[in-house]
Amino acid sequence: MTAIPPVDFLALSAILLGIGLFGILTRRNFILLLISIEIAMNAAILNFVVFAAYSGTGGGIGGQAVAVVLVGLAATEVAVGLAIVLALNRVRGSINVAEATTLRQ
Amino acid sequence: MGALDFLFGWAFLVPLFPALAFVLVGLGGTRMKRFEWGGWVAVALSFAAMVVGVLIGVGEMLSPGTYTDTSTVWLTVPGPVGPFPNGFSLVMGTLVDPVSALMLIVVTVVGFLVMLYSIGYMHHDHGLPRYYAELSLFLTAMIGLVLSDNLLEFFLFWELVGVCSYFLIGFYYEKPSAASAAKEAFLVTRVGDVLFLLGVFIYFATYALAGGGAGWAAAGFKFASGNGPFLGSLVTGASSPTLTVAGLMMLAGAAGKSAQFPLHVWLPDAMEGPTTVSALIHAATMVAAGVYLLAVTSLFLGFTPTDQLAIVAVGGFTTFFAATMAVVQPDIKRVIAYSTISQLGYMVLAVGAGFTMVGMFHLFTHAFFKALLFLAAGSVIHAVGTQDLFKMGGLRKHMRVTYVAFLVGALSLSGIPPFAGFFSKDDVLASVYSQLGAHPAYWPFFLLALGAVFLTGYYIFRAFFLAFHGDRPRDAALPAAHEGPWVMRVPLVVLSALAVLAGLFVFAPPFAHLLAPGFTVGGIAPALQGVALGANVPPVYGTTDLALSAVSVALAGGGVLTAWRLWGNGRVYALPEGSPAAPVRRLLLNRYYMKVGYDWIGQRAVYSVARAADFFEQFVIDGTIRGIEGTFARMSDGLRRIQTGVVSDYAAYVVTGVIGLLLLLLFLGPWIVTALGGG
Repeated sequence: MTAIPPVDFLALSAILLGIGLFGILTRRNFILLLISIEIAMNAAILNFVVFAAYSGTGGGIGGQAVAVVLVGLAATEVAVGLAIVLALNRVRGSINVAEATTLRQ
Repeated sequence: MGALDFLFGWAFLVPLFPALAFVLVGLGGTRMKRFEWGGWVAVALSFAAMVVGVLIGVGEMLSPGTYTDTSTVWLTVPGPVGPFPNGFSLVMGTLVDPVSALMLIVVTVVGFLVMLYSIGYMHHDHGLPRYYAELSLFLTAMIGLVLSDNLLEFFLFWELVGVCSYFLIGFYYEKPSAASAAKEAFLVTRVGDVLFLLGVFIYFATYALAGGGAGWAAAGFKFASGNGPFLGSLVTGASSPTLTVAGLMMLAGAAGKSAQFPLHVWLPDAMEGPTTVSALIHAATMVAAGVYLLAVTSLFLGFTPTDQLAIVAVGGFTTFFAATMAVVQPDIKRVIAYSTISQLGYMVLAVGAGFTMVGMFHLFTHAFFKALLFLAAGSVIHAVGTQDLFKMGGLRKHMRVTYVAFLVGALSLSGIPPFAGFFSKDDVLASVYSQLGAHPAYWPFFLLALGAVFLTGYYIFRAFFLAFHGDRPRDAALPAAHEGPWVMRVPLVVLSALAVLAGLFVFAPPFAHLLAPGFTVGGIAPALQGVALGANVPPVYGTTDLALSAVSVALAGGGVLTAWRLWGNGRVYALPEGSPAAPVRRLLLNRYYMKVGYDWIGQRAVYSVARAADFFEQFVIDGTIRGIEGTFARMSDGLRRIQTGVVSDYAAYVVTGVIGLLLLLLFLGPWIVTALGGG
């Protein structure tokens, strides 16, 4: 199996980050915003795994461990985010973030 | 120390009675309609103060000495501070000695009588709770001042007296002239107050440095008990310029409070207050405070010869100067006001000449006949509703009690025997006369004081004849005169009796010893007595120069007769056209243009400086601050606009920032590493 150079993974990571940022900056729908954040976050997680895999035996499984924790964290974050979405929808009847400018009723 | 000692422990009670009245009436006076809006409460408590005050005064006469109560420590400054290795304490104590006992009697008796008289006089006025509360506070302050046992406590009450006079002179504050008179009284006396405070500081510093910390700490900040030898050591260096300056500062303070030239301008204008307040201010409180200050300073601290000459000069000159202005006044209250300034001049003169107790004696008698004159004048004003002498006339028929009371007061003021004013004024003249040999510089001021005797007899009887004699009021529109209620008549009768009898106290053993050559104030070094009481023997009445008495009585009688010639029997004397006296009359009516001059100083000099300071403050200081503030306001206003509240915008800022940082690192990274010395 030809080894894939790490640069390719990092490029993928950069592309994911770019897609995520683009989504964060352009979307107004809260759910799409959350999805974009997830994509950007996965770019970071990917980096951990890549560097862990390419750092040889000296690196241990630290990178992978962090990645797993981060996946869990991302799930938690989405849960909180979706709760906010629900609350926002209940209060305002809309989940457009451009309209929720005041953080109060 | 005798059986009466317990009495002097009660001294602190005396100011507390009117203070209680101040609190009660001040807080609850509006709910005391049935008690004349708190007036009867104030009368009752001032009566209590009078009883205790007179008891203490009589006790002091029977058992002379200096009694102090310094158990109330106000402030303790732990040492070592400056020259005080053990620190020092400031005490709010009481001190009863012959001088303060005399004053205590005057203040409490006159205070009570004025308070009682007010019930009738002020009956129709509004704001009575305020009136009685302020009058009570005034009394508290004056009693506290009299009983002070140190200069700092003295100063506190002194200022309280000043602010109360401001309140009461401006009692009719809706009248612009009253409001402005109150302000004038406050500001003019303030000039003296500031200098007085400076004098206190100078004395404090001088004593502290001369006596060393231990001596001063033992003496506290007192001007009396226990520091006799200490003061004696001061007297040996009595010509020290520092002490001369301190004495002059005391004189300035006294001149402001006691309306001596050139700070006399406020007193005639203070007539804007109710007549009862004038009576209190002129007889017992306020103006007496200045003379009392000079008295305690001369007795306890001592004056240098230069100071004494300055005091004699101010007193002697004021005596004559004020009397000339009283001669032409058309306002009954202002005539009496100028006579107060003039009489205060006599007291200052006597203190300056070294006869402190003689000055205090004149203060004592003056308090009674001046209160009498004012209350009688108040009775007239109450009856006819005007203060203009030229509108009055013929009141003798309708106001018998007032007529007699005013006559007694006027005779006493003129110095006709056997009325009280004769004894004290004669003592003043005799005591100054006795110093003329040793101090030829006193001559002009002695002659001025003698001349003022003639003027006094003239101006007070001019007012008397104008108001009471003739057939009917010159202004037909005046209401029919009537005598006041009993609360107004009783004080007149009591004060008339005192104005006749007070002078005879000079023969009574308890008082006589005050004026006797050997008079001492407890704890004072003999060396100081020589300075304070005059090296020569003070005149004891009856042994003085009878010729001098004859001259002064002749002068006073001449004044009275001149007044009768010009104004008696309803005559109204008018200066002939083109008389050379006309410009003089104008000068006197305009009070020597001194008030105009002071106003000019205020409006031109002080106001210009104030305007320049205002400009600097507005444009330079405020301008700088506003410029800085405006810059930040504009900056933050710009920054505020990016706070849209839209989450995406914030995300964009974060992303922009991160990208900016990345670019920075990318391009400047190598340079930063080099700059930090890394490899």
